This record gives sequence, C-alpha cells and structure tokens, in this order.
Amino acid sequence: MTAKINETSLWKEFFKAFFKHRLGVIGLVGVIAIIFVALFAPMIAEPVSGYGDVADILKPPSLKHPFGTDDMGLDIFSQVVWGTRTSLKVGFMTVIIAAMIGIPIGLFSGYFSGLISTLGMGLADIFLTLPVLPLMIIMAALMGPDIKNIALIIGLFSWPQLARITRASTLSVKNMEYVVATRSVGAKTSRILFRHILPNVSASILVNMTIVIATAILTEAGLSFLGLGDPLSYSWGKILENAHQSGAFLSAWWFSFFPSIAIMFFVISFNFLGMGIREGFNPKLRNR
Amino acid sequence: MLGYIFRRLFRGLITLIIAVSITFLILRLMPGDPTTIMLDPRMNEAARQRLLKEFGLTKPLFTQYLLYFKQLLKGDLGYSFIYKTPVSEVILSRLPWTLLLMGLTQIVTMFIGIPLGVFAGYRKGSAWDQLINAFTIFGISVFIPWLGITLLYFFGYRIPIFPIGGAYTPGLNGTELYLNVIKHLVLPVLTLTLIYLANYVLYMRASMVDVLSEDYIRTARAKGANENKVLWKHAVKNALIPTVTMAGLLIGRMVSGAVLTETIFSYPGVGRMIYEAVGQQDYPILQGAFLILALSVIIMNIITDLLYAFLDPRVKLD
Repeated sequence: MTAKINETSLWKEFFKAFFKHRLGVIGLVGVIAIIFVALFAPMIAEPVSGYGDVADILKPPSLKHPFGTDDMGLDIFSQVVWGTRTSLKVGFMTVIIAAMIGIPIGLFSGYFSGLISTLGMGLADIFLTLPVLPLMIIMAALMGPDIKNIALIIGLFSWPQLARITRASTLSVKNMEYVVATRSVGAKTSRILFRHILPNVSASILVNMTIVIATAILTEAGLSFLGLGDPLSYSWGKILENAHQSGAFLSAWWFSFFPSIAIMFFVISFNFLGMGIREGFNPKLRNR
Repeated sequence: MLGYIFRRLFRGLITLIIAVSITFLILRLMPGDPTTIMLDPRMNEAARQRLLKEFGLTKPLFTQYLLYFKQLLKGDLGYSFIYKTPVSEVILSRLPWTLLLMGLTQIVTMFIGIPLGVFAGYRKGSAWDQLINAFTIFGISVFIPWLGITLLYFFGYRIPIFPIGGAYTPGLNGTELYLNVIKHLVLPVLTLTLIYLANYVLYMRASMVDVLSEDYIRTARAKGANENKVLWKHAVKNALIPTVTMAGLLIGRMVSGAVLTETIFSYPGVGRMIYEAVGQQDYPILQGAFLILALSVIIMNIITDLLYAFLDPRVKLD
C-alpha cells in the first residue's frame, strides 16, 4: 500500500515538472497532433496517386489545394497528410529495433566489466564513427524499397546511441545499495538487470528514444530523397525528391516547402518532448 | 605519447577491418544472388561464369572473405557497371571535391561555432544565449535538402549571385578558376555549416558551463586574474577537450550531409556519385564509395585524436 502511494506521488512530481517545462508541453502537443493526423488521415484528405488533372500541374496554394500541387497535378496537402503515417511508422519501428539491440548491450556492458563491456562499447563506437548513410544506401538498394526494410536498416544503425546511454546509466546505479542487496540474496543476473536496473535507468533511455525517433525521420526522408523510398507509400522525403527531379523546386517553392515544414515540425516536436521528459525526471537539471 | 599514437592507429585499423567485414556481410547475406552485385546483369552467361571463377565466388564463404580482403589490399574495388572503369579510379577522381567541401565546412563551423558556444555558456541564460539555443534547435531539426533548396532559391534563383550547381565553370584558368571554385562552394558550405554549427555550439556551451563552475576558475578569479584571461586561457582551453571528441564523431555524420548537399547542388563529389549510382544500381560504386569514405573518416578521426592529445596534457603524460 505504501509503495503504491509513493509511486503515484513520483508520477505526480514528474508531471508537475514536465508541465512546467514549456518546450516539453509544446512537444507533447505536437506529437499528439502528429499521431492524430496519422490516425485520421482518411478523414482529413483523400489519397492521391497516378496522374492528376493536367490543368492542376504546379499550381500554387489555393483554397482547393492548400499546399499547392506537384508536377503531376497531385494535391501536396494530401501527400503530406498521408506521409505522416509513413514517418510515424518508420519512427516507431526504428526505435523498437534500436531498443531491442541497444538496451541489452548497454545493460550487459555496463553491469559486467571486462571483455563483454569492451567489445560492446567498441562496436558501438565504431558504428558511431563510420559514415553510415552510404552503408544504409547499399542495404536499401539491395533489400528493395519497402517501409519495413527501411525501418529495419535505420534501426540497425541507431542502437549505438541507446547502448551508450544505457551503459552510462547502468554504471551509475550498479553499485547502489539496492542492487548489491538484490545480488546478495542470490537473485539471477537477468532479474537484476531487467527488473531492478532497467526501471531505474529508463528515464534517460526514454529521453534518448525520442531523439532516435527524430533522427530516424530525418534519415528516412534522406533515403527517400535519394530515391530509395517505398514507391507504394507517401513520404515527405519523396515529395522533395519529386520536386528536385522535376526541376520545379526553384520555380514552385510550395513543392518542397510544405513537406519540409512537416519534417521539421515532426523532428522538433519529438526533440522538445524529450527535453520535457528529461526535465520531468530530473528537476535538478533545471538550472543548467 | 608514442604509445597513445600507436594505440590510436591500432584502433583505426580495427575500425577499418570491421567496416570491410560489415560490407562483406551485407553483400553476401542480403537476399538474392550475390553475383548480381558484383557482375553486370547485362553480361552474357559465358563471361559471367568465367568472372564468377575469377572472383572466387564459387569458393566457400570464408575463403571468399579472405579473397575480398586480399583484393581490397591491392586497391581493387571492382569495375563500375556504368563507367566501365575501375571503381577506385572513378571514386578517386571525385573524392577531392568531397574532401574540399567537408574540410572547409569543418573549419568554418569550428571558427564560428566555438566562439558562439563560449559566449552562450559564459552568458548563460541571457537573451543571446536563448537566441543561440533557438538557432541550435533549428540546426538539429532542419532537413538538409530543404535548406539547400531554400538557399538555392534565394541566392541562386531570385537574386542570382551564386551558381546553382557544379563545382566550377569549364574553360577558366589561374586565379579566375580559384575564385570560380570558391563561388561554387559558398552555398554548399553554407548549407552544411548551418546544420553542423549546432553541434559545436551545444557542446562548447555545455562544457563551458561545466568548466566555469570548477574550483580552479574560482581560484583564478580570486587571485585577481583578468577576466578575459580567466575565460580564454583557463576556461576555454579545458572546455575545448570534449568538443574535440565530438568533432571526431561529427566527421562520420557529416558524410551524410555531404551526400544530400552534393545531390542538391550537383556537386561532382562522391556524394553526388552515390546518388547517381543508386539510380543506376551500380553496386560496385556504392560499395567502393562506402569503403573509401570510411577510410577517409578513420584517417580524419586519427588526426582529430592527435589534436586532442595535444590539447590534453594528461594524454601526453600517459
């Protein structure tokens, strides 16, 4: 019973600190708006594909086409709305894959010292230093353009960041009394790691997950822009690719402007949300 | 110090071996026939069989792995499907442009970003600090192609003071050519600078805030040292150490920015070549580009780390 009360007051404190942080709240509202648009896309805009009306080619924003039309005469607003689904899907799939690889590696290499630790972190460092975009391009070109493949590829290269932060946090709690106590009663290592250490390091992991999602969106847009996007789904990066390839990106500013604003809105929202979560979990940071 | 250099070179070598191994694994473990990646699909069957043997693609996987290393050590990256010339030749003709673009960006970001970060950290909480912070958030959130397109729109199209693409205008010589090359570099470098400046500012600001709360700063102030001296000699020098580490990590990520920027500006570097190779499914080029870029990044990282050793006396003593 007492534990329950403590838990609720902890969350209360978190939300109190979180909602005091203006940027965090803006981020939360932004993320909710993005999820809302993605869920209700069919009610917001009709999907467009193929060729539009010839009379509608490269028309500036109007009441009928609030974001203008592209070189095929297709409504850009609709493409941006439907692109939200792709971005959100890629973002979440990426972060799940990155977490499944990065968190265990971080926990193990933080908890154990010696060879495992050195190997795990060495590999993470190498992944962080190498120019990964060309590598992702090769994989995407070979595996074929599909959202799932793209999310998988981005996820495979996003884990080092999570591994490093998990390791750093694990190092700071592994010698705390409660962990030593659990160890001394003979708890299994996996139990110590996942039941006792993980919940206590989850705050910084959560913050970094929002950053992983934000970065994944930029990478997805980049790959789509380079022509490696899924031809069967809408993507903000692909609208920009069309703008660039058609050569209309200079004369028709709206062609690249609106999808780019969508990307920026998405990335900023998730970054702000992360800042708010960090603030909520650690009020001591407020003065930095 | 010698030991440090040696260890650093060793780590570079390990990184390179891992980069090569990852490439090998990707090429061999991907779904589909690995030969389609090495051999032009338009080749006739007899030639294909002969080359399969020659490349050792009929041998067991581990032998292939060793052969792959041997081939790379000889500088052999295979043949481009499109250019019909060795991949290494194609890439080496493009690499100087990319290195020029990235090197210049690195220098410009350093010279603008570090002072900005020092200033923001020193005047923590001021209006300037908040302005710099807002700008930093923009830097980490903006989509590179759009920034490039926007700069092109304003400074290449609306007010045409800079060229809209390429690296130089053919037919120029001497000083005129140099000026022309610089003119072509302005917008791409500006694009990358606006993006990567944020990293320097953020790091420098955070480490300035840390350093300025240290005891030795208080001591320096207490003994009556001039505030400028405290700031630049005592604080900045120490705050630079984590920033240099970040600069090393940034080089690898800057390659991504270079690929996108070169694509927008039709800049004839490795990045633009990658974009063209994607469209034409020229896998040997893609593979070679990654390996060469990885090698370049590793070398630049070693240089950064030596700079780090120079800054941090603790490394020298070690």
